[in-house]
Amino acid sequence: MLTYFLRRLLLTAAVLFATSIIAFLLVHLTADPASTMAGEGASASDLEVIRETYGFNRPLYVQYTAWLLDLLQGDFGRSYYLRRDVSEILAERIPVTVTLGVSALCFSIVVSLTLGVCAALRPNSIIDRFALWLAVAGQALPSFLVAIGLMYVFGVYMRLLPISGVSDWTGYILPVVALGYYSTPSLMRLTRAGMLEALQSDHVRTARAYGLSPWRVTIRHALRHAILPVVSVAAVELGFMLGGSIIVESVFSLKGLGYLAWESIQRADIQVIQSILLLVAASYAVLTLCADLLNAALDPRVRH
Amino acid sequence: MLIRARRHHSLVIGSVMLAMVILMALLSPLIAPYDPALQDLENRFSPPFWSEGGSTEHILGTDNLGRDILSRIMWGSQTSLIIGLLTVVMSGVIGSALGIAAGYFGGRLDMIVTFLVTVRLSLPVVLVALVVVAVLGNSLSLMIAAIGLLLWDRFAIVSRSVTRQLATREYIIAARCFGSSSARVLIRELLPNLYGPLLVVASLEMANAVLLEASLSFLGLGVQPPQVSWGLMVAEAKSQLLFRPWVLAIPSVALIWLVLSINLVGDALRDITTPEGRA
Repeated sequence: MLTYFLRRLLLTAAVLFATSIIAFLLVHLTADPASTMAGEGASASDLEVIRETYGFNRPLYVQYTAWLLDLLQGDFGRSYYLRRDVSEILAERIPVTVTLGVSALCFSIVVSLTLGVCAALRPNSIIDRFALWLAVAGQALPSFLVAIGLMYVFGVYMRLLPISGVSDWTGYILPVVALGYYSTPSLMRLTRAGMLEALQSDHVRTARAYGLSPWRVTIRHALRHAILPVVSVAAVELGFMLGGSIIVESVFSLKGLGYLAWESIQRADIQVIQSILLLVAASYAVLTLCADLLNAALDPRVRH
Repeated sequence: MLIRARRHHSLVIGSVMLAMVILMALLSPLIAPYDPALQDLENRFSPPFWSEGGSTEHILGTDNLGRDILSRIMWGSQTSLIIGLLTVVMSGVIGSALGIAAGYFGGRLDMIVTFLVTVRLSLPVVLVALVVVAVLGNSLSLMIAAIGLLLWDRFAIVSRSVTRQLATREYIIAARCFGSSSARVLIRELLPNLYGPLLVVASLEMANAVLLEASLSFLGLGVQPPQVSWGLMVAEAKSQLLFRPWVLAIPSVALIWLVLSINLVGDALRDITTPEGRA
């Protein structure tokens, strides 16, 4: 187990290193920091001064190494536009996105598990067909449409829920649903398939033969085995949600990382963009690592 | 029985829906009643012909600049389909090449490819696409290149696992014993087995590509006017949600129609190519 952990840790570190290079190159090769900072109407000498001051005239690998070293010490750089430390800005925005992402994942898991288990318990019934149909429909809806639709129906038409900002927890309800619904079809299908298999397996039959109540059999024996792939996929989906929250956040005007990324892209605020890319990639890598470790802990076959 | 019924239903319905969109895209220069960029500021926001105030001059109404919505839907289908198809071809070629090479030759190549896939998976697709498109500009070909270079991961994963399974089969080893070169073996023995799974992945990624383009255009950093995109239509109509809902509803329906048809076809294909007995 320890060797597996160390191997995976090493892989994660390598992936993060590669991702940092990509994030850096992506931003620095496509935009000229000096001209974006100087704005329009800047003369060539202005640009030169900026380049000298901020070190943009150094070779790329030198700039990259400097950035990396700063990063490892916790310095994410300074935002050119907002004139603040990037780490401060990130610290403000991260809680919103994390709350959104985790809640969306919980929502998705609750709905998928419920639907998946019910569907598996009565295959080919109305509820099974409904669940599968819901899965197909859910995957065809773009997230911005769901976000706008929810906003319209519940916020404007029925005036039930707030449509922007997060003055209190109710402001999270619509965005959570809008973000979480997309993973629900795949998680539900996974649960259903796993449950179907588990319900036909030998040990569940044994449990039933012992006379255990159907409830106990379903939850404690079948679900425990069906849930393994769901857990690892769910961890990965959380990573997707953190990266994909940009649409939901901009529709509902939530001050999270995604919205910040969008604003920064429009303002060509390079340091912020780099840092967000790296942060999201890092969380995804860490989440995948946790998912793999969880899998390895629960299922010894994975560790070879 | 349910599986077969679903298979036939989804395939037929999905293909018909998809064919309708493709036909619309192909014929739009001929049958679109108006130029999609033609503004008619006197006739802004005229409703579809079935509501009051609407006329058959603009069957689906006009948008905030008086442009005919029906024509814009027709021309917009070209954007979605072109991007969907070309990105899938591009990412399919890249991903399959990497996956097959990794699965067949194994060893170091496999490690490198797996590493590349892991790195690609940890990059947030929407953000990266946004950065590239925002800074390098949003020509159609650039968007296709950017999305095509981002969506190859599942192709690589699937082709790698199928190739690995098949590489140890007897007939592959037999072919090598006969002296067939690697290339010959790959083309004659492996590829025919890969078409099925790869087609399924292609349908999934095509839906992803269409959604990604729509999302990018919705955020304002995708296709730019005067080009037409359904995502852009939704973005422009967002503020009119309360009073003129059709301007938002019609492109939304178009998007859902297209993605749903692709998903139905993909699901049906997956059922057909999967051996019987799996749920």
